[in-house]
Amino acid sequence: MAEILGEEELGKAYDARLLRRLWEYVRPYRGVFWCAVLLSPVNQVFALVQPYLLKKGIDESIARGDLLGLRNVALVFVAAIVGEFTSQYGQQYLTTIVAQRSLADLRIALFARLQRFPMGFFDKNPVGRVVSRLTTDVDVMQEAFAAGAMTIMLDALKLVGIGAVMLWMNFWLALTSLALLPVVVLAVDFFRRWARRTYRQIRERIGRLNGFLQESISGMTAIALSAREARTFGEFDELNSAHRDAYHVSNKLEASLFSVVEAVSTVSVALMLLEGGRLHAVSLAQIGTIAAFNQLIQQFFVPVRDFSQKYAVLQSAMTAAERIFSLLDLQPEPVPAHPRVPARAQGEIVFDHVWFAYRDEEWVLRDVSFRVAPGEKVAIVGATGAGKTTIIKLLDRLYEAQRGQVLVDGIDVRDWELGALRRRIAVVLQDVFLFSGTVADNVTLGRPDITPAAVEAAATHVNADGFVRRMGGYGSVLRERGSNLSGGQRQLLAFARALAHDPTILVLDEATSSVDPETEWLVQDALVKLLETRTAVIIAHRLSTIEHSDRILVMHRGELREEGSHRELLERDGIYARLYRMQYASEAAAPARAAGRT
Amino acid sequence: MARLWRYLRRYRGRYAGGIVCLLAATTLTMMVPWLTGRVIDAIQADRAFGRLVACIIAIALFQMVVRTYSRFVIFNVGRDIEYDLRNDLFAHLERLPLAFYQQRQTGDLMSRLVNDVTAVRLLLGVGILNFINTPISYLYGLTIMLSIDAPLTAAALGVYPLALGVVKWTSRQIIERTLRVQEGLAELSSRVQQNLSGIQVVKAYAAEEHEIGDFRALNDKFQEQNFRLARMRGFIVPVMNIVGGVGSLVVLWYGGYHVVTGRLSLGQLFAFIGYLHVLAWPTMALGWMLTILQRGRAAMLRLNELFAAEPAITTAPGAAPIEPFRGEVTLRDVTFRYPGRPDATVLDRVGFTVPAGRTVAIVGRTGAGKSAIVQLLPRLFDVEHGGILLDGRDVRTLPLGWLRRQVGLVPQDPFLFSRTIRENVAFGIDGEADGRVEWAVRMAGLTRDLAEMPAGLETVVGERGVTLSGGQKQRVALARALATAPRVLVLDDALSAVDAATEREMLDALRGFFRERTTVLVAHRISTVKEADLIVVIDEGRVVEMGDHESLLARGEVYADLFRQQALEVELEAI
Repeated sequence: MAEILGEEELGKAYDARLLRRLWEYVRPYRGVFWCAVLLSPVNQVFALVQPYLLKKGIDESIARGDLLGLRNVALVFVAAIVGEFTSQYGQQYLTTIVAQRSLADLRIALFARLQRFPMGFFDKNPVGRVVSRLTTDVDVMQEAFAAGAMTIMLDALKLVGIGAVMLWMNFWLALTSLALLPVVVLAVDFFRRWARRTYRQIRERIGRLNGFLQESISGMTAIALSAREARTFGEFDELNSAHRDAYHVSNKLEASLFSVVEAVSTVSVALMLLEGGRLHAVSLAQIGTIAAFNQLIQQFFVPVRDFSQKYAVLQSAMTAAERIFSLLDLQPEPVPAHPRVPARAQGEIVFDHVWFAYRDEEWVLRDVSFRVAPGEKVAIVGATGAGKTTIIKLLDRLYEAQRGQVLVDGIDVRDWELGALRRRIAVVLQDVFLFSGTVADNVTLGRPDITPAAVEAAATHVNADGFVRRMGGYGSVLRERGSNLSGGQRQLLAFARALAHDPTILVLDEATSSVDPETEWLVQDALVKLLETRTAVIIAHRLSTIEHSDRILVMHRGELREEGSHRELLERDGIYARLYRMQYASEAAAPARAAGRT
Repeated sequence: MARLWRYLRRYRGRYAGGIVCLLAATTLTMMVPWLTGRVIDAIQADRAFGRLVACIIAIALFQMVVRTYSRFVIFNVGRDIEYDLRNDLFAHLERLPLAFYQQRQTGDLMSRLVNDVTAVRLLLGVGILNFINTPISYLYGLTIMLSIDAPLTAAALGVYPLALGVVKWTSRQIIERTLRVQEGLAELSSRVQQNLSGIQVVKAYAAEEHEIGDFRALNDKFQEQNFRLARMRGFIVPVMNIVGGVGSLVVLWYGGYHVVTGRLSLGQLFAFIGYLHVLAWPTMALGWMLTILQRGRAAMLRLNELFAAEPAITTAPGAAPIEPFRGEVTLRDVTFRYPGRPDATVLDRVGFTVPAGRTVAIVGRTGAGKSAIVQLLPRLFDVEHGGILLDGRDVRTLPLGWLRRQVGLVPQDPFLFSRTIRENVAFGIDGEADGRVEWAVRMAGLTRDLAEMPAGLETVVGERGVTLSGGQKQRVALARALATAPRVLVLDDALSAVDAATEREMLDALRGFFRERTTVLVAHRISTVKEADLIVVIDEGRVVEMGDHESLLARGEVYADLFRQQALEVELEAI
């Protein structure tokens, strides 16, 4: 599976394909969406009525000394202000609703999709980068909605509306007022051309600068050991100044656009005054019309001035969308066309000439075949890197074998309904992973059919009840990764978790690290109880565990080399016998030596 | 803040120029409504007004120039200072010892260098711009408006204190709600982080649906927090419009009344409306500025805290390199504890000497203190008591850079940079590498691996070298150390991920190299250490045995036990 996109990318500000995909998420809220869009012209009307009222007030009331009329105009003016405020606030609020709801949906969709990605994806992509797709990138899109960049098209409509009102009020005056429009169009177009490249450059350089920073901070020791501080600083300086220079360019562009638009706005007013005065002299324009135009021109240039800001936001929103969708497009775990679930759970496991490699042809398992009968307890032993853990991962279909078959209850794991397979097999990993949440949550992992009573029963059965009660019961909260528990306690909790899920097959990667003697006894005792009445596959690190198993499989460099009971294997004097002498025999000797030293 | 002034002073010329232009631009802006009013009066009175309009156009054009200049100069200086600040921070970080990084998280440091620096930049850019602009605008605006009509000014601006109050209140609300949203986002991302870290458990227990449900609940909460923020944020622009609108209303109604009574000319009414319009933005900006100021100051305080972190390990004054350097290494009575863990003595009066050109092997169980010894040699930490001597001189009296170039440490878990293999190997070489990289990769046994890579030496290793196997990473790190040809080579279990046969081959190839250097080997494999001139056995921070292979075997204690166990391992490997 490919790695997900990094920080460097192209910088389109407007991409119809992306917008169409985004629309899928907006569609459920399209009613609200169109309401928000429709409020835009309403708001526009209230905004445009005000200059018109100004004109009426001046020409029809003030000029004629009609104070009553002036009062009426003022009252309508108040209504227009209230209307403008309400419609604008309403529009913003509705837009927010659409943005929030659809982006929340997008976030859920992403999260749900992540749950279905195969393990290979998580091996290749650092967690931090994946998290930032879900948080930072979605946030950038939200900002774009908030800044009104997603509705930049409505701004264009606004311009048309103002232009139309001007033309309706006074044709010639309107033409004069908008005479400089071509200049603005040219300026904006020029800006857009340059900004596209500059903003892209900025984002690339931010990405590079931050990437370099992150790497340098993580690898500061490596830098120190190579006495490379000066050169690393030089490299940082280069990225830092490139970043600064890119912003210098964008500052220049934005400052120019801002000032040009302001100047054009002022000059337009001046031209309008000139023409207005001429028209007034020949009674073709009233003084109030000139006043109204003064305001209309200023209204006209506000969206134009905001353009640069919205453009930048829109562009980064599009790249964020691009990255999010590229993640959504990755293939999830393959699902069988006709998933099967055997009616009767027996607990038989068969590995049939299984070959597996995480990468290319580096075989971790070579032609491994064995059968575990229902109810049988099998211990797997072998040196580090012999392929023991991989067997567990294939059994649970976290990975798929390249050649051969893994069968559970006579069905290839690839044909099993995935959830059902995993519910039948409970896995206890060496490094117990606990979530921050209550003890009970960590036992049930959210399965609703495990009652509090069942949680308690399971915990009691595996000797976890005692410490859980001491820490305040099943509702007490575990810190992140269960850091407030000891190693042994975490194992007991993992046992309780496995037991509560009542699997037919139990898979256990025994912890290598030793725990304090008291807990150690509890763990051993719990393990024996846990294994009762189930098929069990155990990667064993302790002699007692091996002794409790029916059969031992000896893995060596990816191959199954020996198989039999403890006694048989010792007599054979092969790999197992040596492993035994190397690892397990010292188990008895180690405490003795430690005792001797003190 | 003192640090800030220092940066500002560096750019004072340009900055001053920018501010002068800003003042000019603001002044010109404030002239326009007054001129417009005059034009209206002239139009009404049928007087000539061509010169007034020409004035407006001239102002607009001149203003365009000064405004452009002021904006980009002030914003650019913000970027310049951001650049300086970031450079200084980075240089400072480079001088901080390993102990500092063990206590800080990368994410936290990143946030200082990214978010806090940004906050300071905003303060110096937009912050200063509006800080100057607002009072000046008010000064001009009020003066002119009062000179036209004092009661009307009071009436028209009556709504402004209210507006300012609203903005201030809103921005406080916005800050608070933004904090909630940020917390929500942090909660959300730590939830995702946890889910992804534990994905194997999630999958193994088919708990995906529950995880999604959990996430949905948090997501809904986050959405609600966002709504709360949006309700406030949505206020700002409409409030701005309403302030402008109410001002116009007052002027139209109350001012219109005075026009009718003849106290005010229509042009003056016009000018009033214009000033209200021009003053609306600075009023809004003021509320916002207070926030930027607050955040900028807080960020600067946090950065100062970072600057205050002491570079504890530096070159002492008067330090001079050893000429010529032979490479004798002595540990004299070394006692050491890791900073931040004062209760655990890692090394307890450890002492031994390695004559120049000899090889010493350090063996012992995990946690015995082996790594601490090798970390002390290049001064990643300093000893608490006793001393590390090179040719009889304490390492603390040597120039740090020189020391680290002479002592080549290859750590067990090496850090590779996401660059090409060549760049990773040449990492410590200054200037031309002339063939040293090729030599080093050959010595590190990478030739065969490189042949299988798409671009050989020019292959880019992924983030932290993810595209390489553990053994390959270790050998690249070894090549990196070899390439600088250090006098003292220190391998901290640096070939643990390489299989025994390859390790054998490499050590044979390196034998000639070792003979010319002092070598310190930390290793687990007896096969690796047995040929060393001196073997030091460490347990719980103390030297428990010392001697050569034969004599230690003859003693029949810790080392001999280790040897017997590993002999079995070797047998296993051979099967």
